[in-house]
Amino acid sequence: MKRTFPLSPGGAAAPEAALIGAAPGLAIKDRTDWPRFGAKGPGAADWMTGAWAAAGGGALPAVNRIALVPGLRLLRLGGNDLTILGDAEAPAALAAVRAAWDGADGARGWSSWREEGWAWLHLSGPALPGTLARLCAIDLRPGRFSPTAIAQTRFAGHDAVVLCGDGACEALFDVTVTASVLHRIVQAAGAAQTIHGGGMP
Amino acid sequence: MTRLPPPFGTRIDRERPLRFSFEGRSVTGFEGDTIASALAAQGQMALSRSFKYHRPRGAFTFAGAEANTLVQVGPEPNVQADLRPLEAGMDVRAQNVAGSLAFDRDAALGSFARFLPVGFYYRTFMGPTRDAWYRLWEPRIRAKAGLGRVDPTRPAAPGDKGYLHCDLLVAGAGPAGLAAAAEAARGGADVLLVEAAPEVGGTMTFATQCDAAVRAEAVAQLGLRVMMGATVTGVFADNWISVVQERTLWRVRAREVILATGGIDQPAVYFGNDLPGILSAGAARRLIRLFAVAPGQRAVVLAATPDGLDAAEDLRAAGVEIAALVLPRALPGHDARVAELGVPVIEGRIEAASGRMRVRSVQVAGRQIACDTLVVAAGQVPAWQLPCQAGAVAGADPLTGRMTLTLERPGLRLAGTVAGTAGHAATVASGRAAGRAALRALGRPMTTDEPAPDDPDLALSHWDQPLTQDPAGKDFVDFDEDLTVRDIINAVAEGYREIELVKRFTTVGMGPSQGRHAALSTARIVAAATARPVGAVGVTTARPPAVPEALGTLAGQAEPSERRTALHARHLALGAEMQTAGAWWRPFRYGEGDRAEAIFAEAAAVRQACGILDVSTLGKLEVRGPDAAEFLDRLYTLRYATQPVGRVRYCLMLNEMGAVIDDGVAYRMAEDCFYVTATTGAFARVWSDMAFWNAQWGLRVDVANLTGAFAGINVTGPAARAVLQAMPSNIDWSPAVFPYLAGREGTVAGAPVRAMRIGFTGELSFELHTPASFVPALWDALVAAGAPHGLRPYGLEASRILRLEKGHILIGQDTDALSSPDELGMGWALAMGKPFFVGKRSVELRRRLGVARRLVPLTFPAGTAGLGESCLVLDGGRPAGHLTSVAYSPTLGHSVALAFVPAAQADPGARVTVKGRDGRLIVGTVQAHAFVDPANERQAG
Repeated sequence: MKRTFPLSPGGAAAPEAALIGAAPGLAIKDRTDWPRFGAKGPGAADWMTGAWAAAGGGALPAVNRIALVPGLRLLRLGGNDLTILGDAEAPAALAAVRAAWDGADGARGWSSWREEGWAWLHLSGPALPGTLARLCAIDLRPGRFSPTAIAQTRFAGHDAVVLCGDGACEALFDVTVTASVLHRIVQAAGAAQTIHGGGMP
Repeated sequence: MTRLPPPFGTRIDRERPLRFSFEGRSVTGFEGDTIASALAAQGQMALSRSFKYHRPRGAFTFAGAEANTLVQVGPEPNVQADLRPLEAGMDVRAQNVAGSLAFDRDAALGSFARFLPVGFYYRTFMGPTRDAWYRLWEPRIRAKAGLGRVDPTRPAAPGDKGYLHCDLLVAGAGPAGLAAAAEAARGGADVLLVEAAPEVGGTMTFATQCDAAVRAEAVAQLGLRVMMGATVTGVFADNWISVVQERTLWRVRAREVILATGGIDQPAVYFGNDLPGILSAGAARRLIRLFAVAPGQRAVVLAATPDGLDAAEDLRAAGVEIAALVLPRALPGHDARVAELGVPVIEGRIEAASGRMRVRSVQVAGRQIACDTLVVAAGQVPAWQLPCQAGAVAGADPLTGRMTLTLERPGLRLAGTVAGTAGHAATVASGRAAGRAALRALGRPMTTDEPAPDDPDLALSHWDQPLTQDPAGKDFVDFDEDLTVRDIINAVAEGYREIELVKRFTTVGMGPSQGRHAALSTARIVAAATARPVGAVGVTTARPPAVPEALGTLAGQAEPSERRTALHARHLALGAEMQTAGAWWRPFRYGEGDRAEAIFAEAAAVRQACGILDVSTLGKLEVRGPDAAEFLDRLYTLRYATQPVGRVRYCLMLNEMGAVIDDGVAYRMAEDCFYVTATTGAFARVWSDMAFWNAQWGLRVDVANLTGAFAGINVTGPAARAVLQAMPSNIDWSPAVFPYLAGREGTVAGAPVRAMRIGFTGELSFELHTPASFVPALWDALVAAGAPHGLRPYGLEASRILRLEKGHILIGQDTDALSSPDELGMGWALAMGKPFFVGKRSVELRRRLGVARRLVPLTFPAGTAGLGESCLVLDGGRPAGHLTSVAYSPTLGHSVALAFVPAAQADPGARVTVKGRDGRLIVGTVQAHAFVDPANERQAG
């Protein structure tokens, strides 16, 4: 059956899709349809320890830290709350982890349905610093925010998981507020561009 | 009037003239001017009228310290003319005038000043009749109150908000702030320097001994982050600092903060001290040096501090005749400067100033001296607002009488004038020391402290001016509120001995300038009247904002925070009239045309065929883990440990007072997994409570919020089963296999679903929950499969009618903060045999008190009009309850309602009197059961 995401044609935020190219100095990419998988609850971390090692990773990261292997990013959001972000161009790595989880016996946590509950936007460009300064109370400046860190915070007026590194920022947030978040991002980028050329004071 | 030649006028660009208007008259200024400086260049010193007596007023400091400069600029009221940069085309008008600035009808109020003492309004407006205040006085006073005019038709001008971070925030880029910032930046700190003026330097920008180029070069080399035209408006806990820059509110988190906010020039107090043309020493120097404006042609200078000599030297350089230099006290060490000026010197004080729209003469030692300008150097007070917000204690130096500030708060320091310095060298040294201290606190030790230099100007920086009341009054202490010395003395005589009480009785310090010119004089008057030291009197509490803020700036962007279900586009495509329910957008009804007809048609479709409703806004939770059933047993009132897998059970949640706060259903998908729904409105509370109790109880449970991840569609009506059976699915929908209150997992039209035999309409219903990305396609498949069966989508209003016909309650609409299950007739939902559930103990205790009111169904005769939610239920003519829900039932042909009624009137058949919206009394009848299908045959079918 066809899946429809908020910014897809016919999606809840489809009219806002035009905003993606409307933010001055800011490139916005919608990754809501990218593969991801989350496990949560008792047993999730124990199961993921083995799965992550099988995927080529080392020990699980600390809470609010990220671990990487090619094609996968493991986000540890809590002691027993883990989410793996996949890559749309190399979905096999995540699919293998998911298949292993689906077939596992015993304690493995429960699905946190991140592939359905989260929207996922990727932001970059010269207006990014000034835009982020208007959207998030966390200091996300390069050098101040580690590329292996996770901010579980408010972003564009909503709860979000925020990652920053390599001159880009990714925000994962409740899928039902996609339109609202996108409006705020574009508005913030406009204000940043107007007042400080996209930068910060 | 011509401008002074360069080097005067460092801020203006003479090549860029700007034309604007003041009071309808065309005026020309220059780029870089403020409104007030451009007007001063034309000899226009009066800007507006005062609040109470409508006296003409103008700028005193030209530094934003007084309310006298508030003007109307186009539709924008309360613009500070001495701070707002001039723009071409501005339409500037005086504020608080009845007529014009020059001819103000309300200026006559000043003649009645003796009849309008402070607090007169507390006593005067009590009569002559009992309600005279409301009918007679209040409308008249309100018509006169307020400053400026707001244009309600003006489009909103939203502000902007943002967050900044730094190691060190320095407020004020004067000598101390610059030195502190430079020192800290040299030590490697990330420094944010915030300055209200359009350039850094503070007093150095107009002081002859400092070079502006040197300032700029120093800042550029250091690479500080400098925010110009930005004002620190508040100091909050944990060094959370609010900064307003134009229309943007920046919330800054700083590890360390240095406040170097400088001093505020103080006026002298004498008869007529408020006239336009009377300037502080700093104001005169700003006009000359920054804007190339000679303040007048003939000036008198009051030099109670050496600042007066600085101003006199600048006036002389600007070609202004100095009629007299008035020395109220000796200035040791400055005799040579006085002699060098070569102007008449009078030992004495200013006794009075005269003039109408501008000062025309002053009286000194009994002599009248003609002048058009009076420059006053009466000392400064430290800008205490921000330090005192941060917890600084104001006092007075016992030797000099100078106001002092003592601040002991980790992470926050004072530098320069606010730290008690006066001379330039001492002020710079104070800044450097503060910068080094901040570096140490940041773990970046730099150099050892340098000894503080002598501050020879300190002893002369304060003047204890005499504060005796003038018999003729008009010796103003507070310009904002037109308060005189006598007003403060009278307040103390009334018994208001403490400064906070004096403030509340007189309103001193309550105006836009927040006591910047009044605080010290008031404290000294109160101290003298109560025979206490000034330090014991202190200043009133300082609260944010330190300067006026526009509400639009605080509001920020008006971008709504809204939630959309995954079916939002489907609703719009069907022509739905969307309505907000909390943050959600929901379809109120579909299609165009008559609203009621459309809604009744939707309801009829459900009763006669099949309807589908988007229920994605329901809260959706998975409670999973070995103790999931135990968790629900404690949280909800029914039993879940005994609930079979594949069954759905009602959920009723109470708070610890035994009041109903939510309801929903729990579908047991596995021994250790329940899928739980909660109402749209109460979900946030339920989710929060679940997280709280899960942490409290420590059970082996995980709770996942799937509200956004899953969407829901309710398929309801006599044809619901037929519609589903027409779709490809691996679920057996037959009643024997899928009975009422059963739950099944499977696929429908390729979508994974969790199906539940539940509904809110009283009809045969299936609720299909599916991952959100699948629901648009599932909706389309249902619409296609249902078309032959008469299926149509229905909206929120039809849903409300249908549920009311069935007698289902809506939590939050049919309940209030105290509603108990017994009042709602839901005792059946309480498993009192359980050892515990939240609210159980309160239910037991409340049962001992009995039930005073009950929620009952009411019917009204056909044709009844005037009913509405919240209409009162009367008992013996007195309010005894109210309608919680009411609607016309298209199924029954008359109005039905739910209502709280006295328990004695709750029996079926009882007649209840309701007061209609139009005041008429309407009689309804209590029903025993739901209005539609009381035997539940339809929904169980």
